[in-house]
Amino acid sequence: MQLKPVMTKSVFNIKRISLFMLRDLTILKSTITTSLYVVCGLFFISFLIRLRGDLVLSSYDFASVFGKFYIILGILFTFSVFKEAQNQKTNHLYFSLPVSSLERIAAAWLSTVILFTIILTVLGAIIGQLAILIGSMFSETSFHMVSIFSEEYWGAVTFYAIIQPLFLYGALRFKKNRIGKTLLSVLLLIFGLMIYNFMFYGILNHSYDVFSGEDLAAEAFDLTSKDFSGAGKFAFMGILTPLLLAATYFKLVEKEV
Amino acid sequence: MDFDNSKPIYLQIVDLFYENILEKRWQENERIPSVREVAMMVEVNPNTAIRAFTHLQEQEVIHNKRGIGYFVSEKGYDKVLDIKRHEFIETTLPDVFKKMGLLNVNIKEVNNSFNQYLNNIDHEKK
Amino acid sequence: MITLNNIQYYYPKSKIVLDNISLQFAPGNIYGLFGKNGEGKSTLMKIMTGLLFPKAGIYQAFGNKISRQNISCLQDIFIVPEEFELPSLKISAYEYINSPFYPNFSREEFYTLIKEFKLSPNQKISTLSFGQKKKVLIAFGIATNTRLLLMDEPTNALDIPSKSQFRKIMASAVDQGKCIVISTHQVRDLHSLINHVIILDHSRVAFDQSLSNVSENLWFGKPSQAKPESIIYSESAFGGKAVLMRQGKNETEVDLELLFNAVLDQPERVNYAIKTSYDEKRI
Repeated sequence: MQLKPVMTKSVFNIKRISLFMLRDLTILKSTITTSLYVVCGLFFISFLIRLRGDLVLSSYDFASVFGKFYIILGILFTFSVFKEAQNQKTNHLYFSLPVSSLERIAAAWLSTVILFTIILTVLGAIIGQLAILIGSMFSETSFHMVSIFSEEYWGAVTFYAIIQPLFLYGALRFKKNRIGKTLLSVLLLIFGLMIYNFMFYGILNHSYDVFSGEDLAAEAFDLTSKDFSGAGKFAFMGILTPLLLAATYFKLVEKEV
Repeated sequence: MDFDNSKPIYLQIVDLFYENILEKRWQENERIPSVREVAMMVEVNPNTAIRAFTHLQEQEVIHNKRGIGYFVSEKGYDKVLDIKRHEFIETTLPDVFKKMGLLNVNIKEVNNSFNQYLNNIDHEKK
Repeated sequence: MITLNNIQYYYPKSKIVLDNISLQFAPGNIYGLFGKNGEGKSTLMKIMTGLLFPKAGIYQAFGNKISRQNISCLQDIFIVPEEFELPSLKISAYEYINSPFYPNFSREEFYTLIKEFKLSPNQKISTLSFGQKKKVLIAFGIATNTRLLLMDEPTNALDIPSKSQFRKIMASAVDQGKCIVISTHQVRDLHSLINHVIILDHSRVAFDQSLSNVSENLWFGKPSQAKPESIIYSESAFGGKAVLMRQGKNETEVDLELLFNAVLDQPERVNYAIKTSYDEKRI
């Protein structure tokens, strides 16, 4: 068994990206399988609980169970792909491997977003179906096919795809307590954006007397956060996501070990 | 191979070759190991081994057949015998003489020791 | 050919580690990079691998300015670091996932070396001792057939028989297309293997000569009656060894440890002695 070597000297080569993904996944194999077993168990239990009330696993039920574990596991996975780059004992061999920074980012993103989403969705569907099957055998649940895709499902996937680059960047930016520091920065960022929106909203709508009344702060925050959902999403998707991917790229380029 | 520090390694490799030829482990016109094999055998840089081979070629003890390898020369044994005899008489003996003078050992004693040594060998053979 | 020109390096908020380093490395040689601990050997090797970026100076390998973004550079350089950790895979799996990145990788060579190191492809790397892990990485490094192979303290974790194995393997690994640089502070382990010495001291290159040049011009040993002016350096112990100008005496093997001490103690005198006797011969 032997993989053919990549001969090309170009900085962006699809074959090398897939080889690098294979390498990452092989190295993390035991961690990945353990966490997949755990998440399968959690899926199964949660799906059974969801079946209890109305005896149906609706697409909404599926998405709400799937969404939670999906995002948490995704973030953990994102941090594990750059573990090699952060460890003093592995980073020499990691960075001296002939793979360009662009390819490394592409491989990391493809594994932690695309591949991860597909695999977890398939697993979720299988476990969901299994839960229905078991349910129909031991309770009054009638057998039905699990439905996966719903607005909530796509909501979770989009949300993950939007916030993931932040964690990708955090995984490379911080050396210690990477998850904690990244979460803290995310909170600060959201808080900052809210303040920004708050001020913006205040300035624009000052003449309409929006800040008059008794419960000033509460109402104002309520109004601004409503406004944030639209503008904030746009800010994240349109600007921040590519910007963070670019930042991760440059962090990788300039990293010295 | 353990190297003694005084002599250049390449000359120590040369000595190893001489020994093999004198003890007839390597016969005339017989193929000898390659540079790479020798370098590995004695754990030295191949450049050092090359130097030993060059030296041996200059002494006409070995010769190179292009594309095949190195061989002990037709007159390899005689050449080595000549070189080693020369070395013995020119360097080893004067050292011994010097020591004899220093320790006041005369040639008679040496002669006796030598005869005894020959006797011992005879006994061992029987 | 690998060329370093006036390379300078310092870590943030610390004193200079490498100062004005200019060196050339040619294929077909095994270079010994010596220096006391903390004299920048590892830093220099990291710069040569593109893991650190010099603060000043130019580093070129095979006609290219070295950069981690330049894939063809990285395909021609391999480093065996002093400290490292390998993933807990089988040796064969490690080879399977890492070898395709190196165009000239030879599986045959890798598994021959693994066998020579008395390891088996089915062994799990996590069950190996550090010395054995080092052997896996050394075997991998040689099998990549990169034009530049750097090894940082390769004999450190090896026991005595393994050191001998290592020398055998290195002796067979070098060929005319390969340039091998080995750093060590254990001068003794490698003296028969290297043919060029570089000594770093006080962040600078204190010595950079081929061993044939050294043995041609300097004499090592216990001098019986030496003219004081021909002594370049001598150990203080009674009957100690000394470095002398050769001046027509029989050629001696270079005593690397003695040379190392001489260079650290009397860098100018040693370099001057080689230079003058070299000049004399040219006239």
